[in-house]
Amino acid sequence: MNKSVAATQPKMGRAKNYKPIRTPFNVVHKTILSTNNLYKSYRKGKLEVPVLKGVDIEIAEGGFTTIIGQSGSGKSTLLHLLATLDAPDKGEIVYGDTRIDNLPAKKREAIRNQEFGLIFQFYHLLPELTTLENVLIPRMVQHGFFRYLANKKKFKQEAIELLEMVGLGHRLTHKPSELSGGEMQRTAIARSLISNPKVLLADEPTGNLDEENGADVMKTLHELRSRKNLTIVMVTHDAEMAKSSDHVIHLVGGKVA
Amino acid sequence: MYKLLLSWRYLRTRFIALASIVSVTLGVATLIVVNSVMSGFVDQMKHRLHGVLSDIEMSAPLLSEIHHSEYTVEQIRELLGNDLEEVTCVVRTPALMAFQSPNGMSVQQQVILIGIDDNTFGKVTDFEPYLQHAMKKTNFSFALEGDGYDSEYGTSGWELRREKAEMERRIEEMHRQSMLRAQEQQSKWQTGDSSIAQASYQEPATQETPTAGSNANQFAPLPTKIRSIDEILAEKESLKTEQTFETPQFTGIDPHAHLRTQVSEEEMFDAAKDQYTGIIIGQAIAKRLAVDENQEVSDFYLLRPGDDVQVMVTTVGRSPKPVSDMCTVVDFYNSNMHEYDSQFAFMPISELQKMRGMVNPMTGEGSISTIQIKLKPDVDLDEAKMAMLARFPVDEYYCDIKTWQDTQRPLLSAVNMELTILNILLFLIIAVAGFGILATFYMIVVEKTRDIGILKALGAPSGGVMSIFLGYGISLGAVGTGAGIVLGLLFVRYINEIADFVQKITGQEIFDPTIYYFTEIPTIVSPWMVFGVAVGAIAIAVMASVLPSLRAARLHPVEALRYE
Repeated sequence: MNKSVAATQPKMGRAKNYKPIRTPFNVVHKTILSTNNLYKSYRKGKLEVPVLKGVDIEIAEGGFTTIIGQSGSGKSTLLHLLATLDAPDKGEIVYGDTRIDNLPAKKREAIRNQEFGLIFQFYHLLPELTTLENVLIPRMVQHGFFRYLANKKKFKQEAIELLEMVGLGHRLTHKPSELSGGEMQRTAIARSLISNPKVLLADEPTGNLDEENGADVMKTLHELRSRKNLTIVMVTHDAEMAKSSDHVIHLVGGKVA
Repeated sequence: MYKLLLSWRYLRTRFIALASIVSVTLGVATLIVVNSVMSGFVDQMKHRLHGVLSDIEMSAPLLSEIHHSEYTVEQIRELLGNDLEEVTCVVRTPALMAFQSPNGMSVQQQVILIGIDDNTFGKVTDFEPYLQHAMKKTNFSFALEGDGYDSEYGTSGWELRREKAEMERRIEEMHRQSMLRAQEQQSKWQTGDSSIAQASYQEPATQETPTAGSNANQFAPLPTKIRSIDEILAEKESLKTEQTFETPQFTGIDPHAHLRTQVSEEEMFDAAKDQYTGIIIGQAIAKRLAVDENQEVSDFYLLRPGDDVQVMVTTVGRSPKPVSDMCTVVDFYNSNMHEYDSQFAFMPISELQKMRGMVNPMTGEGSISTIQIKLKPDVDLDEAKMAMLARFPVDEYYCDIKTWQDTQRPLLSAVNMELTILNILLFLIIAVAGFGILATFYMIVVEKTRDIGILKALGAPSGGVMSIFLGYGISLGAVGTGAGIVLGLLFVRYINEIADFVQKITGQEIFDPTIYYFTEIPTIVSPWMVFGVAVGAIAIAVMASVLPSLRAARLHPVEALRYE
């Protein structure tokens, strides 16, 4: 935990010809996702509220990184930027070797769909669909109508395996409204994994769960990481949660502390 | 795939979607029903108008005549050549028709009297199918038939004439009886043997007594008592058979004997055996509604086939004079178009020409008032009309040359206008349904904001999200339209049954055949109309869903996810 490797060295004034840092000390931990001098502000009426004020982080591949901060510190915004759901005002986000924040919409959609898995505090399942269908949605989005139909059996098998992995093999045809919070979150985890992503981005995955269920979800995440060799980035305000992670990044007032 | 899945799920789980479907369904069904009925109505009406009016009419001004009709017809035949099917000459004139209704009331009615040539008239216009007597439809003549008339008329045909003649005779006889009695009384006064002669009876009758008295014993001996009419009639019959029906009592010399042509018994007009010129009158002229004490409505006929009518027309020429003649009703004409059925009366053209003085005494050729032309099918009427107008210039022929559409232009254009406006108004119904869909969709998009955010977060493109809602709109429109088409077509199929049913419930006659031209509601379902309505309805549904879909597509995923 909180190793010296924690990828948090500010690199001011190097936005233009940025290259991923490769110090001789972190050969073990290749950087998979990094940001460079990230700025983001939101408009509230006429008022412009700066949220991120020059954030530089590096996420090590295969690690469990926790971004911790108080509410309003910009941690969720940072996660959204990492997930390419939003574009930064200034700065860069690099995934592997490519800058992803300024990619065309289509490529960003593909990255969201296939490279990243997203988990949210409020699970965000589609209420009209069953557990199985919810898990299959990223596959449906990824493939066209006929290709999906052609591979339907395979996808379905994968989805069932995933659901069994998260312990929901008996809940395949249930609607989200018929599931408990923990079950919903585990469905969401299964959904985030259906397209075999490399990075799992979790926004307070336990924030809405009681202690027991939260611990359960955390356990599942850790298990999956080791089994699938995932990189997990988790945002939380709970310092307890951060204890089990490899790296911790503290975010205070829009900057890395 | 997710688009279809979600569209379908939204369609199935939203009750409000059903409301949108119902509104589209109703709009489409209404449009189809109204259009079918209207086009059926217009088509039937056109068909009948066309049938009655013939294709092209060349007519002289009212009460005027076209001389040299044979020459003119020749010219028309030459001009139109192969396009011509048949041509017929008619005399058309306003006339006054007077008759006695069954209760003896005298009725006068203005009619349009049409003298027709029974060889060709039926070939140019739909005339014979509208006649009521079965025989006349196939084998037309102006002769009165013995039977075969609709029993609804009551006694008709020759039977009616015999009955009426019998009645006349009885009345005549009664009249004669009363005359005789009066005379008997008079002679009693004259001889002074009665106390009833009073001073107050200083009437012209008494002043006439010298002459009357001298003639009194010239009549047959008076009966001493009043006998029954049957007895008298029987006696009269026997006198007739004995050929003693003369007037030997007249001993004086008839000063005008040399002027009187002797008319033999066979040549004398006997109402029971002879008819006047045959006339066919529009049924609505004779037909009235009657209600009996049980509130049962039945038809009552002022005139029946076999009745005599007096027609009065004016002669042609510089100073028209009224002339009249007797005619015998031989049949009714019923085209189910009240306008015509309440006005038209047909008689042989030759008789009408004679009456109106239209026969040239030198050549024997009759002039006419109208030439009616039927063209071969698919010949352009307006083109033929223009050719005729060029051949018969108005300054020379002063004739009006019109196609049947020209003649009925006001009616046809009014109906067309009605159809257009009705369609616009009814399309507004679907537009209203469209706004319903718009509002519904907007609500659904707002409700589904978070789902949209989720889909976008999972990598769904904006276009994909948009097509969920567009697909939703299309399926709403399609389902609604499909149901509307089925409903509308079923309604059209059973419209008469429905009308009867509604009539039974409300007691109000929905489709009054005396106002409309038809006895049952005519419908024509045009596939193109149905197609157009369907496309229009779906287009409106899609257009109404575009705006909400665009909103859905433009939603920012982060904001959508934050939306609670």
